[in-house]
Amino acid sequence: MKQTNVITLLLLVGLGFTALTLIQAFSQSYALPGNNIGYEPVQPIAYSHRLHAGELGIDCKFCHTGAEISRTAGIPSANVCMDCHRFVTAPFNQVRAEDEAAVKEQRKPRRIVSPELQKLYTALGLNAELQRDPKAKETRITWVRVHLLPDFAYFDHRAHVSASLDCQTCHGEVQTMERVRQVSDLTMGWCVNCHRSSNALGVKGKPVKASTDCVTCHY
Amino acid sequence: MSHATTERHAEKSRLMSDFHLNTAESSADHDTVASSFDRREFLRLAGFTFAGVALTGCEQARVEKAIPYLIKPEEITPGKAYWYASTCAGCNAGCGILVKNRDGRPIKIEGNPDHPISCGGLCAIGQAQLLGLYDSQRLANPMINGAPTDWQTLDQKLMDRLKEIRTGNKAVRLLSGSLTSPTALALVKRFLASFKDGKHVIYDPVSRSGILEAHERTHGIRVLPRYRFERADVIVGVEADFLGTWISPVEFTAAYRSGRTLEGDPPQCSYHVQIESRLSLTGGRADKRYAISPSDRVSLLKGLLSLLEGKTTRAKPGESSHMLFLNELADRLRSARGESLVVCGSNDVASQMLTNAINEVLGNYGKTLDVQSPSYQHQSNDKALEDLLADLRGEKIGALFIHGVNPVYDLPGGKEIGELLAGVPLVVSFAERIDETAHRAAFVCPEPHPLSSWSDTEAVAGVVSLTQPTIAPLENTRALTESLSAWLGKPSSVLGLIREEWRTTVFSRQTMEKNFQSFWNQSVHDGFAVVAARQHRKGAFDSRSARNVVSTAAQGERFELVLYPKVSMGDGRHAHNAWLQEVPDPITKVTWDNYAIISDVAANNLRLASGDIIRLTVADADPAVTLEVPVWIQPGQPDSVVSVALGYGRKGTERFAKIGPQWLEGKPSVGPDGLVGVNAAPALQLLDGQLLYERQGVRIEKTGRQQALACTQTYQSIDTPPLLAQGTEARRPLIRYATLAAYAANPSAGSGPEHKSQSMWPEQHEYKGARWGMIVDLNACTGCAACVVSCQAENNIPVVGKDEVLRNRELHWIRIDRYFVDHDGDLDVAHQPMMCQHCDNAPCETVCPVLATVHSEEGLNQQVYNRCVGTRYCANNCPYKIRRFNWFDYAHDDAKQNMVLNPDVTVRSRGIMEKCSLCVQRILEQKIEAKKNGKAVADGAIKTACQQSCPAQAIVFGDMNDPASLVKKKMADRRSFNILAELETRPSVGYMTMVRNRSEQTGETSHG
Repeated sequence: MKQTNVITLLLLVGLGFTALTLIQAFSQSYALPGNNIGYEPVQPIAYSHRLHAGELGIDCKFCHTGAEISRTAGIPSANVCMDCHRFVTAPFNQVRAEDEAAVKEQRKPRRIVSPELQKLYTALGLNAELQRDPKAKETRITWVRVHLLPDFAYFDHRAHVSASLDCQTCHGEVQTMERVRQVSDLTMGWCVNCHRSSNALGVKGKPVKASTDCVTCHY
Repeated sequence: MSHATTERHAEKSRLMSDFHLNTAESSADHDTVASSFDRREFLRLAGFTFAGVALTGCEQARVEKAIPYLIKPEEITPGKAYWYASTCAGCNAGCGILVKNRDGRPIKIEGNPDHPISCGGLCAIGQAQLLGLYDSQRLANPMINGAPTDWQTLDQKLMDRLKEIRTGNKAVRLLSGSLTSPTALALVKRFLASFKDGKHVIYDPVSRSGILEAHERTHGIRVLPRYRFERADVIVGVEADFLGTWISPVEFTAAYRSGRTLEGDPPQCSYHVQIESRLSLTGGRADKRYAISPSDRVSLLKGLLSLLEGKTTRAKPGESSHMLFLNELADRLRSARGESLVVCGSNDVASQMLTNAINEVLGNYGKTLDVQSPSYQHQSNDKALEDLLADLRGEKIGALFIHGVNPVYDLPGGKEIGELLAGVPLVVSFAERIDETAHRAAFVCPEPHPLSSWSDTEAVAGVVSLTQPTIAPLENTRALTESLSAWLGKPSSVLGLIREEWRTTVFSRQTMEKNFQSFWNQSVHDGFAVVAARQHRKGAFDSRSARNVVSTAAQGERFELVLYPKVSMGDGRHAHNAWLQEVPDPITKVTWDNYAIISDVAANNLRLASGDIIRLTVADADPAVTLEVPVWIQPGQPDSVVSVALGYGRKGTERFAKIGPQWLEGKPSVGPDGLVGVNAAPALQLLDGQLLYERQGVRIEKTGRQQALACTQTYQSIDTPPLLAQGTEARRPLIRYATLAAYAANPSAGSGPEHKSQSMWPEQHEYKGARWGMIVDLNACTGCAACVVSCQAENNIPVVGKDEVLRNRELHWIRIDRYFVDHDGDLDVAHQPMMCQHCDNAPCETVCPVLATVHSEEGLNQQVYNRCVGTRYCANNCPYKIRRFNWFDYAHDDAKQNMVLNPDVTVRSRGIMEKCSLCVQRILEQKIEAKKNGKAVADGAIKTACQQSCPAQAIVFGDMNDPASLVKKKMADRRSFNILAELETRPSVGYMTMVRNRSEQTGETSHG
């Protein structure tokens, strides 16, 4: 091939590559393949963080107990939900309305169960009185993981939580989300960037030692 | 572009016309294609298409589901390990273990540091028990006549048969190995009492019945003493491999080690003499090793006894070498009355009685060996076994229950036994898989793996341990005690039975807890309880019995055959365990096979080389027994002795045929008969109530065939070649040791002169935080290979198979280099565990083209698997050759076996380099925990897998920047040195010289 043809070709390819990488740095909606930013999968039960963490103000670590003590924050087991949902079966105003209607019609109020919570009760094999029904079979609740790191990257929540990092730093304003969405890059560059700036500036005024050794995450 | 195109087109047309001229064919299609679309265009288009296709291949990451518990158990946090205390069941020793669980399944076994028997160590066999749990070859259901069934059906059918048997006159026997479980023993007793003639016959494939029998004759009680090596200043082992395989090697190693710490002034060190007929682990470690042939043993012991009793006068110079040696030995023993210990590992009663007499004369009873608080680790009775076989031949047995032993495999005349079993009306086996004996059993009632069931143990008097399940049983199995209680008509759970037994017989033996439930809770938590030992009354010593000893061994011509258990295989019950098959034998370094060991002189005489298959004929056996085994030439083997390991040639090892990578030149890991190794048990002899492991008059013939033996240490000599000798070191100072005399005079003895060479590196790299380092005390290391298997379990190291080992591709991250050193006409063996040295000036880090291996801020040489492209330059550059390469994708398609993998360590694929990471996953775990708690990492909180398992605690890991750490203290010791220090690699792993208790001052320092 002629020299100029080769150079042109190479320049075009290089330009294309640069464009691809640069665009994703400036745009929220475009990302390189493999980067899941913006991922918002449909979950088996439409659990709303906006309601529980935002409106009701439940702390993240109340349910995600693993964050402080383990590598994985974990998705709470059904018994954590049942702490409240033993009693709370539907939105408050619906229950109120039913109570008022019952008083008006002079009958006992019926138990109202929201369809999403019904999914929880069915998974646990509970009957209408929310007691374990021996004939019903327990099934799993198969949540879809939103924040996924590749297998060769080992992330430990403990180190970050004990460094007083807010959950929102990486997970975004989850308390405003109806459905959980990945708002951060979660690329290695993004992680290392934060490690470097934390080492230099500290976290909330406290100095931290966020190692940038490879073996911190890859072992 | 068009200008160039026209030119190109013109050129192309010319070329194409040339093309047409040269070929006979020219179709119209060709012309059309040629004019608008040529090879270059095609390639360009293909390149773009390919790139385009490749890009579209980049897709969204996989969708992963997360399934939490519905009701989470309180103690389990996903991602965090939780521990159970239990007891190892790899052999009868009963070492306490701690089992690490993740996500509902055990992934690592460690020694329990508080346990009085093991003191935190765990041998190779113990570590490998984990793999045995996830074994898809284990029976999933009880079997009746080879067909799987359920327990209800089996119980019904069996109880009907038992009813018949109870009406008959024939005997009922339960044949088992040594049972240390008080619950099981009690239940067996109750079960057998329900028959007119029910007896419990115990035998061990590697029998210690001789010791028990000898004590019955000399001291009036049939016991195995508890040997206290830690109280002995002078130790004499006669054919007893107590650091490797004899009775309780973990316990004895820890005890032996505690007598050789070199602390104090004069440095504390016991004196160990080993008299043996083959080179064993213990013999290699001894201060003095004396090689004999087995037929000399009894006369030697007799000679020693009469010297100690003062019956014989001292030998004069010029007398036989035996007498000279015995004189010296007797002097030493006399100087340590009550603080010496003579042990004999042979099973013949005559030798054991003489040993008892020697210990009695030396006043050792009650001090270094205890018969009043004895060991229960072996209870075999070879006489009862012989009687049982006679009964079988006489067709007197109506029902035979077989538990924990495999008589068709591990007894001589096994084939005949199998045929006899076919004639027994009822044979019930409790085997975990259809082995040689279970084949003959109508009813097979498999037991769960010890890691998934409850059990109890009283291995030594006064120490009762518990085994608790760490996972629900993976198969439909039932414990022995549960089966027996069901057949007695009172079915109970095994937990209920154990609690009942403890409530009635164990609880009363302690005074700490007033309430049974709190005693039980504490025992389950600790894994053991120390209670009052049942005292055995020792009779007066009957000295006449030892005097009338007549050795059953005749003087042999030809060869004497010695059969022995290997450190990694024991009696063969773990032959199905791939980790144990691939662990190199500590002395021969051969994996995957057994072989006939002969000396080089014998090999020369017979013109044999290692790998030649020979036929061993035991002439005086009836019928004559022949074994065809490959030869292995071993220094230190007496010239007239050939030794073959037991435990091989087991049915079920066919599974290893395809264990290695399946490629064009790959060969199976099994022998021509489809099994790994050869069963040597037919050469055993059950005679006069003794199971004997030696044969005389053995003939060796060549067969002309060869079999490659996969040895991991093929470099034979570390003598410096003359061209490279600098005039000072005759041998490369890789392993260094000194004598006690030299050490007492100068603590730096042996650690060698410091080599100072030119280095391009700055003098010292800076480590601001922690700096991880490790030191291995060669004086403590016995070469037992517990660290090798522990590392394999912790770091997901695959098994590569025999063929790959033959190509030096074994993947063990830690290897134990074994060196032979000539000493005084005999042989010393030195072991040196080698793992990544984590060099400060690492030669591997500078040559990685993709920086997959770099140095961490804390001194670790990091291997980043996801970056490695498999150039292998790092392994090329490593002077220690500790880097292992994944030449293949080692199979991980057995889903059950994959449960053994440690989730904290990456499973490496093909093309990745791996090496010791100093258990970085453990370092990070402790660092993060400490950070979470706001504290600094305590010294000793991080234990690498190798360190944790070592029965002798030879390995110490810690922070070298911590002035109070143990590793810093040891590195400052004058015995410490680095390997290949002259290369200026500045390793973070140090070694401490081995010191042997010898009186020579010179000639032993800084040997290689």
